[in-house]
Amino acid sequence: MSFFGFDATLPKDGGHAANAPGFGQTPDAFAGLGGGALDDGDAIDFEETYDGLGDRLDETDDAFNDDTFGSGPATQQAVGRDFDFAGQTSKIADTMHEEQMLYQARQAPPKRQPPIPQASKPARTGYESYHNPEYIPQLEARADIWGLKPKQNDAPLRQPEPVAPAPAAPVAARKMMSLDEVEAMMRSHTMQESFAPGPAQPFQLPAMQQQQELAYNQPQYPGTPPQYAPQILQRPQQQAHPGARQTQQHQQQQPQVHVELPGHSVQAQPSHAPTILQRPRSNQSDPHSQPRQAAQQQANQRPSSQPRQILQNPNRLSGHGQPIAQQGQRGPLPGHNRGPSFPGMVITHPEQLLHLSEEERVAFLEEDAKRAKRNHKIAMLSKDNGLMTPQDKNFITRIQLQQLMAATGNLEDQGSEAALAEDFYFQVFSQIRGAPRQTPHQPANQFAQTYLFQNNGRFGQGRRQGRGGDNHMQRMEQQVQRAVEAAKAKPKSKQLVIEGSLGKISFSNSKTPRPLLNIKRGDTGDKPQTKPHKSSIADRKEALRNIEKVYIILMHLEDHERALPPPINENSDPEEIQRHMEWRSKVEALHKKLWEGIKIMEPINPHASSPHPFIAMLSHGKGKKAIPRIFRHIDDQERLTVVTMIVVHLDNLAVVSHALASPDEPMSAAMREEVALFSQTVMPPLFGLISESPLSNVVGLVGLVLARTNLHVVARSQIGMSLLTILISRAELLKESTPDINIVDWEHWTEQYNQLFNSVEPVLPLLFPGSVNDTDDMYVWQFLAAMGVGASPEQQQRLVIGVKDRVMETVTVSKVLPPEMASARLANVNLFMRAIGLDVELLG
Amino acid sequence: MEDKEEANNEPLDLVRLCIDEMVVVKLRGDRELKGRLHAYDSHCNLVLGDAEETIYVADDEDEDEPSRVRTITKKLEMLFVRGDSVVLIAPHAPIVH
Amino acid sequence: MLFFSFFKTLVEHEITVELKNEVCIRGTLKSVDQYLNIKLDNATTTDESRWPHLIACKDMFIRGSVVRYVHLPPGIVDTNLLEDATRREAEAAKAKAK
Repeated sequence: MSFFGFDATLPKDGGHAANAPGFGQTPDAFAGLGGGALDDGDAIDFEETYDGLGDRLDETDDAFNDDTFGSGPATQQAVGRDFDFAGQTSKIADTMHEEQMLYQARQAPPKRQPPIPQASKPARTGYESYHNPEYIPQLEARADIWGLKPKQNDAPLRQPEPVAPAPAAPVAARKMMSLDEVEAMMRSHTMQESFAPGPAQPFQLPAMQQQQELAYNQPQYPGTPPQYAPQILQRPQQQAHPGARQTQQHQQQQPQVHVELPGHSVQAQPSHAPTILQRPRSNQSDPHSQPRQAAQQQANQRPSSQPRQILQNPNRLSGHGQPIAQQGQRGPLPGHNRGPSFPGMVITHPEQLLHLSEEERVAFLEEDAKRAKRNHKIAMLSKDNGLMTPQDKNFITRIQLQQLMAATGNLEDQGSEAALAEDFYFQVFSQIRGAPRQTPHQPANQFAQTYLFQNNGRFGQGRRQGRGGDNHMQRMEQQVQRAVEAAKAKPKSKQLVIEGSLGKISFSNSKTPRPLLNIKRGDTGDKPQTKPHKSSIADRKEALRNIEKVYIILMHLEDHERALPPPINENSDPEEIQRHMEWRSKVEALHKKLWEGIKIMEPINPHASSPHPFIAMLSHGKGKKAIPRIFRHIDDQERLTVVTMIVVHLDNLAVVSHALASPDEPMSAAMREEVALFSQTVMPPLFGLISESPLSNVVGLVGLVLARTNLHVVARSQIGMSLLTILISRAELLKESTPDINIVDWEHWTEQYNQLFNSVEPVLPLLFPGSVNDTDDMYVWQFLAAMGVGASPEQQQRLVIGVKDRVMETVTVSKVLPPEMASARLANVNLFMRAIGLDVELLG
Repeated sequence: MEDKEEANNEPLDLVRLCIDEMVVVKLRGDRELKGRLHAYDSHCNLVLGDAEETIYVADDEDEDEPSRVRTITKKLEMLFVRGDSVVLIAPHAPIVH
Repeated sequence: MLFFSFFKTLVEHEITVELKNEVCIRGTLKSVDQYLNIKLDNATTTDESRWPHLIACKDMFIRGSVVRYVHLPPGIVDTNLLEDATRREAEAAKAKAK
């Protein structure tokens, strides 16, 4: 921080203000004022204002100037001595520099960087730099000071300065004045006309002052809230239009500054001001007093800046939309400052005190102490203002409400049970979404949990919709990626020789796939067509009935969960234990009922005309949606059974057998939806289970896929392929991560992998559901990557041959795509390429 | 309420099976709705999603051909249907592929 | 009570009420009761040339029985929850009947 508590870089106040919290803010306000006459706080304006000053000086009255300052042109440099704070500043230059750097580092608005070193440069006297004609930055910094200074002292306090007996004073005062200031001074007439160095803002001042006085007499605090509120409202706009924000800020700042200033004058009893101010002059002319004065000034500056900070605080927080981190940082600062400088606050001009009578001084001090206290309080209260958006608050409120309900829910249960039954939708809905009128007694929190994370199906809010599916896809991708990374970390003997492999591909690609492709197509084409269509209306109804039963059981279970009696321990009385036991047994009963309800244990009849009842349930949307809820209530063994059942019937699932898309016949929209729903609801639980399964389970499941399903159908559907991807990548991960793996298992796996590979190879070119321009092929690349990781070099080569065309096409296509899309698509391809030790880069 | 293993013994139990399924609803005033059933109650108040309404309008302009019927269809994303207009609710047979 | 409960969640949302006499009125749902009577604010007819006499009506009460449809914004309906609520309602109705 600079000597005055200003940011030395103030001239750029526009940029600065946009995000300046804490100290930075103080100077901002002034910058706004300083530029006030210019209507702009730009750096350029400052220079314009002050650059010509020296030349315009009227030296006729400067008779004593030389006496005071030594001979030299009455330029800005000369002026500077009168207010040579830099000399004092330089004494603590290091500290200041450090602080500034610190501050800036935290703030990190790059613009401000350059001035820093300059501000700290004037070591020792601070005069040296003035002799250097090139020392422009210093001038700039001083310009700030001046711009600030007049404002800070404001008219009443200020005017005395010129009156000061010391001959130098008038000169100084004069020189400091800009034309505007002079004008202002003349208008304000407040005190001694001859020298009154007007405030920087001549025109605004009188009116403003009145306002401020009002504002001040009304304690500052009350004054702020109104300001605050509108700003909150403005906030979104401000954020949206940074430019607008700046101007607004500007406007806001000006009044604030004024508010404070009159405060001082009012309190300081203006009538004394002149005398008080005369003192400083004499002090200043006394060389010995310099350091002291500096110290005083310092003390002086700080306090005066504090109220401003405080006042601005609400403003800043709400209005400027600063990053939270900054706010947090800023928080402590005002308080910190205030502590030590507390007494200093009184003395807007330290010298003032000297002139006050004892009583006055005491009164003054007291009042100021009070104000400081109040300001401190305000600052403490407001330091974290704006940290949370209204949405955040709403969110927290909801969490708290939920916790409240969780804490009291059991007590309320009995009474609210009826209300819940009558008003279930509203109660739970309110819980989830924070309905307009939240009743305080919402017993439904556990239900809310049931539905909160359930994806919302077709009509849900966009926000929640797809979350599950996305997550699942992400996690799957991660698993594949991990498998790829693991494989790379432990490379198998030799990867493909790049050139060779690519060369070979081009040789063999044209002939191999075609004939196979056609055969398989016919094969895969008719099978799904026939089977599910046999499901008669009766079967369908049966399935629906089963599903509804499952839902009823699920709801009973969920109801029952809410009735969980308090946990028991050794000291619990028998009744409680009894209740607990009953609760337990009821859970068991319901659980058993659920297990029966999903019909999963019905014998599998491969020749039945209708699909297995469990599988039939999955062909309905609500059947799919039930799966995650069912998974919550069954144990791992049962989950594995469910997964096994699904795997065995993989090619019977409508989302597999009816979802074979090809470039010629894309999937229907309805089927797309079904597939999406399946991957959002059923896949995540399956994935969750498989990704924690031991190799033996994985081997078993893959074995079932191989033995019981038509792999060509499975591998060409998104669901089937995803499931295979999950299984293969899990196996590969296990291989890489567990060195002491069962050899037998492993051999078994290798065998199966080879079998899988051989079955899939012919359909490799058919795996892609659409043309190259169809972007929805990520899952295919994942599958290929998973396959590639475990492949032998020879298999890898075959793999590459199978999809080489697609790789090339995708690379070609992505060249004309916008960079983002291109990189996304290439990343997909690369997942596969890297799995086999290649990289798209190599394809140039 | 727990032991209701038996088949539907109430007319509305049939409607229950259609929750989250596509249904066809005939209404008074020569209207028909097709949509996904999200809610119903004993008054046959309904909530349908992804609905399509078909209105059959007799074209009176042509007196020669009194049997001429014009249809108007509208897409309605989410719709509450008051039960007193409902004539019948039937499952919409899915024509998958 | 299912639909009463349902409509309560729609309070303060924009809905379009289609009456049995074809009149369509769009407005903010202010309140609803167990008969599904509806109070609308800022109501406007969707076709003012057809029903000019309604232009002046800004806030209105609509008797539930004259309603044919209520068109809803889909985003504010939690269909999964609604379906479960329907199941509960059906269960409760059955239990009462017995």
